[in-house]
Amino acid sequence: MEEFLIKKLSFTKRPIPLPAEYRPMYKISMIVIILKYCCRGKTSNLLKLHLFSWALASEKNMKELRNYVTSNFKTDFSIWGIEPALNRALQLAVAENICEIVKGKNYKLTEKGDKFFELIQADHELFDTEKSFLSFIGKRHITENRITTMTKKWNLFYVEN
Amino acid sequence: MLKIRAIKLEVNTSSGLFGAEYEFTSGLNIIRGDNSTGKSSLFQSILYGLGFEELLGGKNEKTMQSVLKDQVEFPDGKFHHVNQSFVYLEIENKEIVTVKRSITSDSRKSQLVDVYNGALLTGKSKKLPSRPMYIHDKGGASDNTYGFHLFLAEFLNWNLPEVVTTKGELSHLYLQQIAPAFIIEQKSGWSDFFATLPYYAMRNTESRVFEFLLKMDVFENEKRKQTLSSNKQQLTNKWNSLFFSFKKLAEKSGGALRGLEQNPSIINSVSSIYIALHKNDKEITITDFNEQQKAEFHQLEKQKTTTVGSNISKNEVELKMLTDKLSQLSLNYEMLAPELNYDNEKLKQYKKQLDAVQEDLRKNKGALKVKSLGSELPAETASDSCPTCHQPIKDSLLPSEIKQSPMRIEDNVSFLEAQKKMIEVYIEGQLNIIKEKEKKLVIYQTQLSETRQQIRDTKKELVQDERLPSVLEIEKRLNLQKKVEFYSRVIDEFAQLIEELKLLSKELDRILSKEKELPKDFFSSLDRNKLAMLQANFIALLRKFNYQSKPFEAIKISSDSYLPVAQKMVGERLFYNIKFDSSASDFIRCLWAYYTAIFKTSVTHQTNHPMLLIFDEPKQQDMAIGNFKSFLTELSQFQEQQVIVFASFENSDSSFAEATQDLKYSLNRINDKLIKPLKS
Repeated sequence: MEEFLIKKLSFTKRPIPLPAEYRPMYKISMIVIILKYCCRGKTSNLLKLHLFSWALASEKNMKELRNYVTSNFKTDFSIWGIEPALNRALQLAVAENICEIVKGKNYKLTEKGDKFFELIQADHELFDTEKSFLSFIGKRHITENRITTMTKKWNLFYVEN
Repeated sequence: MLKIRAIKLEVNTSSGLFGAEYEFTSGLNIIRGDNSTGKSSLFQSILYGLGFEELLGGKNEKTMQSVLKDQVEFPDGKFHHVNQSFVYLEIENKEIVTVKRSITSDSRKSQLVDVYNGALLTGKSKKLPSRPMYIHDKGGASDNTYGFHLFLAEFLNWNLPEVVTTKGELSHLYLQQIAPAFIIEQKSGWSDFFATLPYYAMRNTESRVFEFLLKMDVFENEKRKQTLSSNKQQLTNKWNSLFFSFKKLAEKSGGALRGLEQNPSIINSVSSIYIALHKNDKEITITDFNEQQKAEFHQLEKQKTTTVGSNISKNEVELKMLTDKLSQLSLNYEMLAPELNYDNEKLKQYKKQLDAVQEDLRKNKGALKVKSLGSELPAETASDSCPTCHQPIKDSLLPSEIKQSPMRIEDNVSFLEAQKKMIEVYIEGQLNIIKEKEKKLVIYQTQLSETRQQIRDTKKELVQDERLPSVLEIEKRLNLQKKVEFYSRVIDEFAQLIEELKLLSKELDRILSKEKELPKDFFSSLDRNKLAMLQANFIALLRKFNYQSKPFEAIKISSDSYLPVAQKMVGERLFYNIKFDSSASDFIRCLWAYYTAIFKTSVTHQTNHPMLLIFDEPKQQDMAIGNFKSFLTELSQFQEQQVIVFASFENSDSSFAEATQDLKYSLNRINDKLIKPLKS
């Protein structure tokens, strides 16, 4: 029974691995490329940013949004994830003066943000999947009106349930 | 050597015959003409006469100035339409020939040149035999009778070397590719080393041209190396296909190949290569297996054929045994099949995991990059400090209430890489397990059907007339005979393959030892001498031309590209193209020094250099007249060779006088216009 006579147990806390989505600079750069590729006047409201940030999180999400756009908004697509991490990243981005808040609700890319975009753009391998997805979606398809229509469905969805 | 003796331009216009005629001597020739007098037209006509107009960025007459193909302006403001124009160029190596080529002509294509045997321009006789030849047409460089460049190469005693093209084939260097090393054109020639080199889908053309010009031994060695490596590639292909033949044979016989690698290697003993078969859960070589069967077969043959009756009790025992065997086999099969399904499912899971990890890894690497980009921006978040209050923050977007601290991204990346490796190992292991099990399953299946057949036969015999001979025995004998034959054939084929393998192994041995014989770097001691001399000449010239951008100790001639390179700081390990660290005017000095140094080195050694240098307006970038004079002084020392310099001398007599004072040279002055009415 000797092996049960443990006198002391100690635990050391180790740093945990973290998905790239939870890294501040990663998320900020996602915000920058979304604003640049997919938003008119480099300006977007919060919900649209959440939509794209959600889409970029996985291949599956990208495919779903891509199908929605190519089917001319006919597929059944209305819900996307809202993550607090994006909100935190936005706060940081505003504090860094990479984005600014205009009209109290929209986020706009600043000059510094533009510079950051150029840095990201200069490296062709960096975020190539993300870039090609975003440039495929482009600025014209997901408009503010589209977001409103989608979220209206959202309300209905909840009412029915 | 190539010497330009004279040039003549003939332009027939609507107002009569216009043109120009100039003669050149050995040593330094200066063609002085003010801006826009037609200096460059004269220079371009020399290139055109040699069929080198690709240095001007095109082919045929479209590279030429309008004065030679559209209209002549003479005097200022008065224009004459060009009807026809020709270039005559008299050149000399050991013999003298004159080349005639049309620029504008209704009756002659510009690809056509006439080559006259003799000095048509400076000689007395105007009646010389001539041969028509073609430039730029397909075959222009290779057709024996009509290719002008082939003729020119022979005229220069040049044995044009073969180089490897981007497709991996061998092709001769083109004359137009060698010309940029001794003819420097004004518009783009002063932008880089060998700047006007036309592209012909060849690799490292500059280096090959350099090696050819300086007649370096490295050229031959390089070619030997390339042939060896292509031989090796062929051998690898043969080996591969042989390997698959072996494998196929092994599979055909129901066994596995042992002792042979897919990659070529020298084989000392072929006995270690064999096909392994399974018998009673043990591995056995195919030859041993066949011997056992043969023995069994002989044993059977010796026995008398028994009748059914005498076999009854034996058959009953056998039937019981076979039924037991059948149920055991079915059980094995039933157990293994779902296992295999489970394993396949597991493999699918692993692959999914691998995809997820790879995606995460890609994103993490991206995150690592943007983090460093962010510090460049600069963004405080990138250095883990709060942009508002400048306190340290965690590199995480999790709510701050979560007391976990995240890994640094670098660690996260290596963590994921380790995970990826682990999953890859899992997958490989899993694939092997599946393969083994599939093989086993197939074996069970064949055994099942064999046993069933045997049961049927035994049963049939039990109900037959007792006086008949035993079918079972006969069948067993026949089967065995067939098997012995089959395996003997496999063994024969195997032996043939082994013979082929022996040949390949020998060939590999030969290639490898030849590869060992190649020198580590390909320079001969003479090559090294030439390079050292070139470097010494180059640096000495830079000093004379007053180069200042870099200390001279930091400059050398690269033994890879043969171009001048420089260290960022003296003593540093890395060398860069000298262009990056030289001011614009210093880079012009580099070009002067480089081409002149090649020339000078070639003069000392026996080389392929044509002993001709032509510079169009070398005084670039507002170079000081004093430096230009040093350059001309250098050039004037080549008395035996020919140097032709086209320059405007800032359109000023005093500059000209200052630059050429005390120099030995011949002067050709272009007064007001190059193309003027000719007295005929």
